[in-house]
Amino acid sequence: MMANGGFGTRGGASGMVHLARLLQFSDSTLPIGSFAFSNGLESALQTGVVSDPESLLNYVDLVLRQTARMDGVALLHAHRAALAGDYGAILVADSELYCRRVGEEQQLMLTRVGKKFAELVLKIMPSPTLERWLGDIKADATPGCLPIGQAIALAHMGVDESEAFVMHQYAIASMILSAALRLMRIDHLDTQRILFTAQGRVEGDYAAVRDLSLDEMASFAPVFDVLVAHHTTTHVRLFMN
Amino acid sequence: MRAAGPGKIGELRLGFSLRNGRSILHDLYRVAPLLVQRALYWDEAMPELPICSIISVGGGILQGDRYKIDIRVGEGACAHVTSQSANRVHQMDANYASQHQTVTLESGSYLEYLPDVTIAYRDSRFINQTDIVIAEDATLLYGEMILAGRKHHHAGERFGLDLLSVAVSVCRPDGRKIFAEKVLIEKGDPTVDFPGVMRGYDAFANILCLTPPAVAARIKERFETSFALDSPRAISGVSRLPNDAGLMLRAVGVESYDVRGELRRFWRIVREEARGRTLPQEFLWR
Repeated sequence: MMANGGFGTRGGASGMVHLARLLQFSDSTLPIGSFAFSNGLESALQTGVVSDPESLLNYVDLVLRQTARMDGVALLHAHRAALAGDYGAILVADSELYCRRVGEEQQLMLTRVGKKFAELVLKIMPSPTLERWLGDIKADATPGCLPIGQAIALAHMGVDESEAFVMHQYAIASMILSAALRLMRIDHLDTQRILFTAQGRVEGDYAAVRDLSLDEMASFAPVFDVLVAHHTTTHVRLFMN
Repeated sequence: MRAAGPGKIGELRLGFSLRNGRSILHDLYRVAPLLVQRALYWDEAMPELPICSIISVGGGILQGDRYKIDIRVGEGACAHVTSQSANRVHQMDANYASQHQTVTLESGSYLEYLPDVTIAYRDSRFINQTDIVIAEDATLLYGEMILAGRKHHHAGERFGLDLLSVAVSVCRPDGRKIFAEKVLIEKGDPTVDFPGVMRGYDAFANILCLTPPAVAARIKERFETSFALDSPRAISGVSRLPNDAGLMLRAVGVESYDVRGELRRFWRIVREEARGRTLPQEFLWR
């Protein structure tokens, strides 16, 4: 599966560094501020949509499915554009994703974390495309959505699109689950079990979205959409959303 | 076209404009089964509002039907467009039905385009694409209410549809895209009854209120989110759209009239804040 040597084969030092960096960029402690977001979980708990480990698994499953069909599509398009050196197409993916994001906290999550991600990456490695993108964010010329930044950085590091997709989906699941630890009665063992189970869907999600055009980004989760609106009107809360 | 025949091509074009200080329907072109007769002024709370009801003489949407609706509201004019009854998308054994809508609002105009609920029968395939062009200072209230089939008719009706795609795209007159959304429901969607999707409810609505940021802020401030824990008939909330496009009301309910109740609550506030007019009492026969 790996482009350059990969797992399972002996040797392949470049493959080992590659894997190490994948792990680094997948780490939930990556300092980009995602700890401030629960992806709607806080409202889901307050309204009883999530109440125990089983309903949490169900919630993570749903968010992963939705994210794959929206952010995942934009990520794949941006990744392909980055590999093709088509900067214009990167900006199109960025604005197309942002103009589908309803809810001010959802918009904030997408762009604040996206910008911080770009700043972090540029501190640790040079990437001309990412630098240009960050410049455009600062000049208000592009919204700066996280999956677009991830796509640019990962393409630059030689990470292929299916790996980038997995990393993106993993980050979403681990964001919700780390919020769950702070919001509900659940222990680390249960959240790890849920994470393990939820990750089982990633290949199917990739297969379902890899051929979609940006126009085909779609969703269907009416109650989740009401939760998004619910959160901004709640007075007591721990998370941005 | 024979009565109730499939494969109808319906077309409707409505143009409203301000003439001598009064909003009128100045342009009307129609091809059956889509029909509009004339604009009437019956809204007691907003007597200057021309109201058109779209009548479908076809008895619902059948396989192969292709509808095209174009609504244009000129500078400073106002209008209300609705439909006569539920939009029934019938069972299909071949092909699909589609509707393409274009809605254009010029500077300072105001449009309420609120068709009645769409009921997607089992095995139906319906694609609805709406392209909106709106000036920065105009206000549009537009949305779709969807009922998951003839729920009291047959057990297989509830989300027994084959495919329902409801897409909307919003641009400014200079072509800049500010909002897009596509709701896609496919047969056998494993998540339909997840608590985060329908939670056992059968009807939902996505109602757009495209309006300048200052008006949007006032509306959002006034609308109370409803999400009671003790199994309410409907839940709803208002979220901000990206790029200062306006707001979106999301509502989910047991029956379509429960969702309509949430819509009316929102609609009243929108009208009061955008036009300084309130909403009259709903007719008993609605």
